[in-house]
Amino acid sequence: MTLDGAIAASTAMMAAAFVQQSAEHLRPAARAAERRLFAMRITLSAVLLAAVPLAPVAVPALLAGLMLLHLAILPFFNGPYNGGADRMSLLLLVCLTLAWWLPAAREPAFGYLAMQLLLSYAIAGWVKLVNPAWRRGRALRDVFALSAYPVGENVRALAGRPRLLLAAGWGVILFELALPLAFLSRPALIAALAVAALFHFANACLFGLNRFFWIWIAAYPSILWLNERVMG
Amino acid sequence: MFPFAGLRLLLPAIVPSWRFFDTVAASPRVDYALLADADDEAQWQAFRPRPAVLTVGAMLRRLVWNAQWNEDLFLVSLAERLIHDPDTATRAHSERELVVRVARHLSRQGAGAPLAQIRIRLVARGEDGERLGEQVVYCIDPFAIADGA
Repeated sequence: MTLDGAIAASTAMMAAAFVQQSAEHLRPAARAAERRLFAMRITLSAVLLAAVPLAPVAVPALLAGLMLLHLAILPFFNGPYNGGADRMSLLLLVCLTLAWWLPAAREPAFGYLAMQLLLSYAIAGWVKLVNPAWRRGRALRDVFALSAYPVGENVRALAGRPRLLLAAGWGVILFELALPLAFLSRPALIAALAVAALFHFANACLFGLNRFFWIWIAAYPSILWLNERVMG
Repeated sequence: MFPFAGLRLLLPAIVPSWRFFDTVAASPRVDYALLADADDEAQWQAFRPRPAVLTVGAMLRRLVWNAQWNEDLFLVSLAERLIHDPDTATRAHSERELVVRVARHLSRQGAGAPLAQIRIRLVARGEDGERLGEQVVYCIDPFAIADGA
């Protein structure tokens, strides 16, 4: 995967994810000020999605527009609206804006995004591994029993399956720690990213974290490019 | 002030921590009560309780459209900021957003008329031995739906 191709793929996928996110803020139940901000965001994102293949010369200006818009959206919510998904959205936007604006920054900015993607799994796996509650299966049970995330009471009822949750908890820990190791082999990396996408899909179904699914996948071209760049 | 407030909030995204679920704590629950006047006794209800059963089809549809659920998760974030954040401005923003979003939802549902006031409380849940205990950790003073919406 070439650098240009990977940057273009990530930009288009991020734009599509932004369209999906922004549409959720346009429903009539949202306030007028919120709808105005996200009407601008969905317009810029949709034009960006079309511009990547059709008019790449317009992409830097559209990304700059999205950056400026986010400087107004962040104070509106006093931080992220959707936690980690928003942080990854912003990280993608910053890295891709740098990559499109500064030719000398293309590799460092896109490589930084790839490194952060690897770290997002490695750190999440490590903090669980060192936590006895995760190692004993208690933490995942608490996620189902006590957190706001389970999307229905039928999903919350999984809290009563301790052996299943112990196995699932260890599965998550080992997968998150193994993904950075898969970087050493391209076939292993592709397989690991497929598993990672399934992991985010499961989180979207069970915990309603749909935005994580789309935005994490949008960063995958960066790691595929970096793998080829580093490992040859 | 634009753009400095946005830049301050942008920095944590450039160097993120990624410590997802390093500790798992019970999420606070948002309850509301509708009152005819501020002195009425509150009949508390959970705000937008999750469904008993969510089908696989609904889960798949929510991959592309999950607006209300994502707002519910934002309300939990606001509740956590209200309970834990020491910054007065952050707490004021969180309380205002909670009030506006709850009132707007109830107003659109047609709830409250002819009742004039809403109260909101945040309930923390935790295990007390074998039992699941609950404790009210924050109350927002009664306000009119129209004021919030």
